[in-house]
Amino acid sequence: MRRYILTRALYSLITLWLLVTIIFAMVRLTGDPVKMRGEVGADATYEAQIRRDWGLDKSLPAQYVSFMWNLVRGDFGHSFEKSLPVGTIYFERFPNSLKLGFAAFVISMLLGVPLGMLSALKVNTGWDNVGKAIALLGLSIPGFFVGLVLIIIFGVQAGWLPVIGKGPSAFVWSDPSTWVTFWFQDWSYLAMPAFALGWYFSGAMVRITRSGMLDVLGSDYIKLVRLKGVPERMVMVKHALKNCMIPVLTLAGLNLLVMVNVAVVIEVIFNWPGVGQLLYDGLSNRDFPMVQGVVIMSGLFIVVLNFVIDALYGCVDPRIRLSR
Amino acid sequence: MIKGLLALVAALALCATPFGDAAAQKPILSGPLAKLDIKPAQIEGKKGTPKGTLTIAQHFALDPGWLDPLEHSYVLTMQTYDYLVHDALIKPMPQGEFTYSLAEHAELTADFRKAAFRLRPGLKFHDGQPLTTADVKWTYENFKGAYAKLFRDKIEHIQVVDDRTIIFQFKQPFLEFMEMYSGGVSGIGWVIPMHYYPKVGRDGFKAKPVGAGPYKFVSQQAGVQMVFEAWEDYWRKTPATKTIVVKGIRDTAARLAGLQTGELDLAFGMTGKLLPRVMSDKNLRWVPNFTSVWWLMFPGYNEPESPFHDKRVRQAVSLAINRHFLSKQESQSIGPVWGNWISPENRDALKGDGKDLPVPEFNVEKAKQVLAQTKFPNGFEFDWYVPFVPYFDMAERIITDLRAIGIRGKVQSLEGPGFRAKMAQGRKGFPGNRTIVQNIDPRPGGAKANIGVYATCGSPGSMVCEPHIDELWAKHQSSTNPAERDRVIKQIQRILIEDYYFVPIYWNPFVHAVGPKVLPEGKGFTRYWDTLHAPYPWPWEDWEVKG
Repeated sequence: MRRYILTRALYSLITLWLLVTIIFAMVRLTGDPVKMRGEVGADATYEAQIRRDWGLDKSLPAQYVSFMWNLVRGDFGHSFEKSLPVGTIYFERFPNSLKLGFAAFVISMLLGVPLGMLSALKVNTGWDNVGKAIALLGLSIPGFFVGLVLIIIFGVQAGWLPVIGKGPSAFVWSDPSTWVTFWFQDWSYLAMPAFALGWYFSGAMVRITRSGMLDVLGSDYIKLVRLKGVPERMVMVKHALKNCMIPVLTLAGLNLLVMVNVAVVIEVIFNWPGVGQLLYDGLSNRDFPMVQGVVIMSGLFIVVLNFVIDALYGCVDPRIRLSR
Repeated sequence: MIKGLLALVAALALCATPFGDAAAQKPILSGPLAKLDIKPAQIEGKKGTPKGTLTIAQHFALDPGWLDPLEHSYVLTMQTYDYLVHDALIKPMPQGEFTYSLAEHAELTADFRKAAFRLRPGLKFHDGQPLTTADVKWTYENFKGAYAKLFRDKIEHIQVVDDRTIIFQFKQPFLEFMEMYSGGVSGIGWVIPMHYYPKVGRDGFKAKPVGAGPYKFVSQQAGVQMVFEAWEDYWRKTPATKTIVVKGIRDTAARLAGLQTGELDLAFGMTGKLLPRVMSDKNLRWVPNFTSVWWLMFPGYNEPESPFHDKRVRQAVSLAINRHFLSKQESQSIGPVWGNWISPENRDALKGDGKDLPVPEFNVEKAKQVLAQTKFPNGFEFDWYVPFVPYFDMAERIITDLRAIGIRGKVQSLEGPGFRAKMAQGRKGFPGNRTIVQNIDPRPGGAKANIGVYATCGSPGSMVCEPHIDELWAKHQSSTNPAERDRVIKQIQRILIEDYYFVPIYWNPFVHAVGPKVLPEGKGFTRYWDTLHAPYPWPWEDWEVKG
């Protein structure tokens, strides 16, 4: 078992190193950030000074070594555009993204799973058509459009919900009292962006729940359970739902990662101060350290999560650890 | 008895005022002095009470670096924050482009080799520490933003005479000193507390700046929001608004929605497709906020094979553009068609409304006739039309106009960084010789700043390189006669327009909109935009909102 975990850990490290190296190289293909700061007609001395300040006057290998060394020490560098350490800015924004991501995740599950089940249970009926239509709309209407419609209806016309930002509450790492309160405040700010984000993912949830449920309902063991005279409700809840949830939860987990890390469009529309907006700003301004930082942190979450899942698989299923 | 006392008080008051002025005007430098046109500050004697919150939407992410004048770049947006937290010796204000601020008196020798300032008495930073000439000197010596090299190269010596008097001695005549030292052009004039900056370091200062401006910094979330609170001890007046919150909101629709819901009180950059909605909303008010002029350039025109090498082709391009229609589509006709490529708010710019330079003509038939006399009587195909990002609709309209006379091309839709990086390289950024570039540049520093960047051979951003223009430019640079310099700058502008090196389009309004909370109600609120050549409505201490 230990060997299995060590092997997985090594794979994870190699994946991370590849990610770090690729993102380091990719951002540098986008062009010269100094030219952006310098503006047209900037004198060469000014540009040279910025280049020196940003560490771009060194050769690429030297930049890479310095970048890796700083990374090992947990230093993502200074944002070119926001002039402060990337880590400080990232961790200031990260709780906001978590809050939005979790809320959207809950909405996508609450909408998607019951509708998918209902669709499968009432297959080829009006209910099924409603479920399929919602799945289609969820996947085909982009979140930014839903967001704008929500803003016009509930923000501008009705005046019920605020349309900008996340509200005054903040998660402050140095203030433990905010670690709990933050999640339960300013829900009026959260409602529209969370729905707009969760809406898109709910379409996929409807589909996967419906198809999973149909597969399970057609399986032999469900037929056997029914033959044994188990009440239909028990058949659904205890036997069918439980078994069809494996792919649903797998997808939900991936969705959650996406919602937390790259909800770029929704964050921009609602001016939600999350990491997605950081990435967008970074890309728009050739802010190498910021793009690197956000991508590496997102990658780190995925790699760590995969490592944990692999390790758990190995624990619960000996065939997996033995086969590798 | 009472009458006697009143007479005494009145007599003392009469004596004190001229005496005070005289003290402020007491000469610092000896020898002949240059004539300076610096307006006096408007100081409010009565102390008011700040009230209410003004929430502002900036149209891009907020950079904490903007709070540090020592690293001031060329970007004008930074001055929004200078005007909030910091203060300069002289700066543009509604009453004049050069207005006394921390300084109450300034002098410049007639040979432009020495400049001197006297600070107001009793100046302080937000933390209560006195602001003295030592801070002014320290700021100058530690400045490393845009134009830092120029200031460093020019300075011979800075003499701190006393806590309120400072003399700058230059190695050679520094004609632009007052203009560049003014807060309107560079960050070097905004005074930084020398007791605080080294203590907290660069990052610390950006995270929590201390200045001498009308607003104290309260808090920020990098890129998202900054909060400022009125500093009631500000020397000029008590700021009228208690709290100013600035939010970075990139999306125009979000800014409009924020204004409509009352979450925002002032939003920048409302031009474009949403402008009609701003104009039709009864709760919103707007100001045109003219910035600069749209214009076309032809990089590579000086290569003989380039179709744009022929002045008549460039003239045909100009004649083919329906500027009134463009202005209607882009700005609801707020932007006037303009005959110069430099904003008329620059005091050395020729007016493009027919006064100095003619309003450009729209005449497709004439354009065809002019083109018929060239090597391209039926038009030609050019490589790219590269517009300032993201004005792609406007680019398509211009392309359509050009197609009417047979000049055909495609729009190259770059992203912002790509466009800016190309522009920074001047002609080298646009290989080939069949490209048209559409640009706008609200650059401070007068017409000469624009000419120096775009129309001289030595500039990295040069788009026009002509020996006769360079000769004039050299004459301008070597002259110490302000009248002659002004004449030469105007002569260069005339050449650039009359020879169609640059083709101006219209004077662009960068519309700002305010919500119902902003005072005064009605049209009086436009006074906040009275500062000349300012892209944003400063000074902030004048802004009033409902409490």
